Amino acid sequence: MKRSIPTLVACVLVVAACGTGSGDAEGPLVIYSGRSEELVQPLIDQFTAETDIVVDVRYADSTELAATLLQEGESTDADVFFAQDPASLGSVASMMGQLDSSILDKVDARFADGDGRWVGTSGRVRTFIYNTDTANALPQSIDDVVDPAWSGQLGIAPTNGSFLAFVSAMILERGEAETLEWLKALAASEPQDFSGNSPIVAAADTGEIQGGLVNHYYLLRLRAEGGGQNAENLFIPGGDVGSLVMPAGAGILAGSDKQDAAQQFVEFLLSTSAQEYFANETFEFPLVEGVDPAEGLPNLDEINAPDIDLSQLADVLDDATRLVSEAGLV
Amino acid sequence: MTAGPLVAPVGEEASSRRTYRSGWVWWAATAVVLLPALIPPISLAWQVITNGTGSSVRFARLVELFAGTLALTGAVTLTALAIGTATAWLTTRTDLPGRRIWMIVAALPLVIPSYMAALTIIGATGPDGLIETVFGVRIPTPYGFSGAWLALSVFLAPMAHLIVTPGLRAIDPATEEAATGLGAGRLRVFFTVTLPQLRPALVSAGLMVGLYTVSDFGAVSLLRFDTFTRAIFTLYAGQIDRRPAATLSVVLMALALLILLIERRTRTRAGYRAGSTKHRRQLLRLGTGQRAVALGLLGSYAALALALPMGVLLLWLTRGLVAGNEIGSLWEEVGRSVGVSVGAAVVAVAASMPVAMVTTWRRRRYLSELVETSVWSIYSLPHIAVGVAVIAFALRFARPLYQTVTLLVLVYVGMFMAQSASTIQDSLRRTNPDLEDASRGLGRSALQTLARVTLPLTQPGILAGAALVFLSVMKELPATLLLRPNGFETLAIRIWSSTGEGFYTRASAAGLALLAVSIVPLLVMTHRDLSP
Repeated sequence: MKRSIPTLVACVLVVAACGTGSGDAEGPLVIYSGRSEELVQPLIDQFTAETDIVVDVRYADSTELAATLLQEGESTDADVFFAQDPASLGSVASMMGQLDSSILDKVDARFADGDGRWVGTSGRVRTFIYNTDTANALPQSIDDVVDPAWSGQLGIAPTNGSFLAFVSAMILERGEAETLEWLKALAASEPQDFSGNSPIVAAADTGEIQGGLVNHYYLLRLRAEGGGQNAENLFIPGGDVGSLVMPAGAGILAGSDKQDAAQQFVEFLLSTSAQEYFANETFEFPLVEGVDPAEGLPNLDEINAPDIDLSQLADVLDDATRLVSEAGLV
Repeated sequence: MTAGPLVAPVGEEASSRRTYRSGWVWWAATAVVLLPALIPPISLAWQVITNGTGSSVRFARLVELFAGTLALTGAVTLTALAIGTATAWLTTRTDLPGRRIWMIVAALPLVIPSYMAALTIIGATGPDGLIETVFGVRIPTPYGFSGAWLALSVFLAPMAHLIVTPGLRAIDPATEEAATGLGAGRLRVFFTVTLPQLRPALVSAGLMVGLYTVSDFGAVSLLRFDTFTRAIFTLYAGQIDRRPAATLSVVLMALALLILLIERRTRTRAGYRAGSTKHRRQLLRLGTGQRAVALGLLGSYAALALALPMGVLLLWLTRGLVAGNEIGSLWEEVGRSVGVSVGAAVVAVAASMPVAMVTTWRRRRYLSELVETSVWSIYSLPHIAVGVAVIAFALRFARPLYQTVTLLVLVYVGMFMAQSASTIQDSLRRTNPDLEDASRGLGRSALQTLARVTLPLTQPGILAGAALVFLSVMKELPATLLLRPNGFETLAIRIWSSTGEGFYTRASAAGLALLAVSIVPLLVMTHRDLSP
């Protein structure tokens, strides 16, 4: 027992030593990734192999990381914020520095921040997933979705970031009052709650539900695993938020002391190989000229997307959460 | 949170330790250990008061969350107590064949964290679930209340089992024999004589299970039942404004404290003094039919709580491997999990020493009761709320510690110190202070006496405490999720994130690794708690 006391002290010191030493200019490039590890880590490994830049990633939800960045303020260790949606990016835009025009020029200005603080890296489009055996008429606008014909047969993921981004876009397009009305109509049609998009797509495939509001790529992922034969994506043609394009994107923290490495990483995300990875592995729309979307997907220009300033999504994100809750969806 | 032998043996009085009369050193050490732990929750409450609650906490929503949380807590507590008492009674009181082994089997599910319990249910039911694969019958996945209730009850029952078993042993056989002698039947004896004497143990076990349920995050999230913890995480992860999450965290902390305080009031009034007749208890002889029923009950419990999770994990693993999925190396995760668990266990034991010392002294009763209540209050705080509180505090006042392993380990120590403190207290109460006095009388200094006499005598409590803390840290999810350093993925985090993205092969491999690592400390612990 006597001997164990020095051991104990040693252990405490070792543990304490492990914890110190983050955030210096010599350390790794710190990326806050709101995109999942399974998706991003192969890209990071490739980046490190090409550039010898060591990377540390914090994986969590995009919104959570945005809030964390705001809470951390200038003292954050993060150098790059790689997020799933424009709302998360926009809410920390004030902490990000302006990107180089060589980066911004690669991507259509619709899919970047108006002030050039973040840039889209791949496109995700909201769609209506439906079971191919459904007897209902397919929605021609987002208002058809809340038609009583779909009552009890819809799947939604009301706490999911993409759903909230979609609601945010609706607030920008129609204002709060009309959005709340639409959400209440949705709630009245008693949709089934899901924790995320992929179970909705699976349920539409089995016929458990007839339709649902999701992002376009989940069906393609399910098909890549051999399922998804009984479900189909509909890009709602009405030119409203039903076909919202939400780019995932990245920005560089203004306070980062590794600006060069950070810029190399963002450039890497827009390189042909990374864009092809997004197109073929995650089935998202590439945003850089010269790379085609995966087979079976239309070109991004062919989708009747609404005209919305994505930079403003962040301003109404918390209002979206509030409205979803007020409508009784969560 | 994992249960230990939480109550001191009933009726035993703490002895005064003259050896350590200059008690101020111990009091000072206790203050050093406890005061920092009280800061984050207080600072969080203060922030909510000063910054406001944020916009989206509706009153109706609060009521809904209260109702959901309380209903689940009530149902899980009653069910887990019933199962745990049954397994404890069957394995201590009857001549069941292999009862020693059953005693350990009934404790084993304690290594299974609640999120794995939930995964078990999800993996066993539904299309292509284990049950459909093996029996060809499809049972729909019980999302919502019923699923959460089932997962938590089955996997928290071992907590009740571990606390009720020593409680059953402490009952003087004479009272039950007298009742039988006066012509009462077995059932009547159990309900009118045994159960009332078991009350302190049942109250303790109920508290442990109840607090765990209130603060559980993994099971309710995966099985989609709305309680406070799930709502907090949803707000935390899905909203830029952190105030609503902080507000709900404060409300949840208050709820847990309320449950704790109610229990402490009950506990002081409960209490049966163990009698002096220490003759051996006669084991109840079961008839053939009764034996079959008893074995059937224990067997089905083992099937549900042990075979089913293992089956689901193995099914996912083999399915994934056959499909050509890669698991990838898990050694780093194992290393991190074991590293922080060992670190937290060592520090927690060291920090518990002064706490256990001052709370077993008879002097300054009020102060020592205050210490004891503080330790348990910290323990009762739901981990997700602790995470929210610590982040806010560290960012403002302890920036160098933010997102470090040091802070993570310190938080674990604070959260689980009650476990090691209570096992060490228990050991201290069992040691004879005369031995320490003799050591001083023979010319040893207080420090030498501590090292040569007190610590060796307390060793069983120290070991058991370390094992308990190790086990709890291995399983801990929500605080780790919030407080881990960048890139610091533990086994628990791996299971959580892989499941969230539908990568079940990797999740199951991590789950099996977690169980393998946890089994050793569990055996250390059961050895102490269950051996007669």
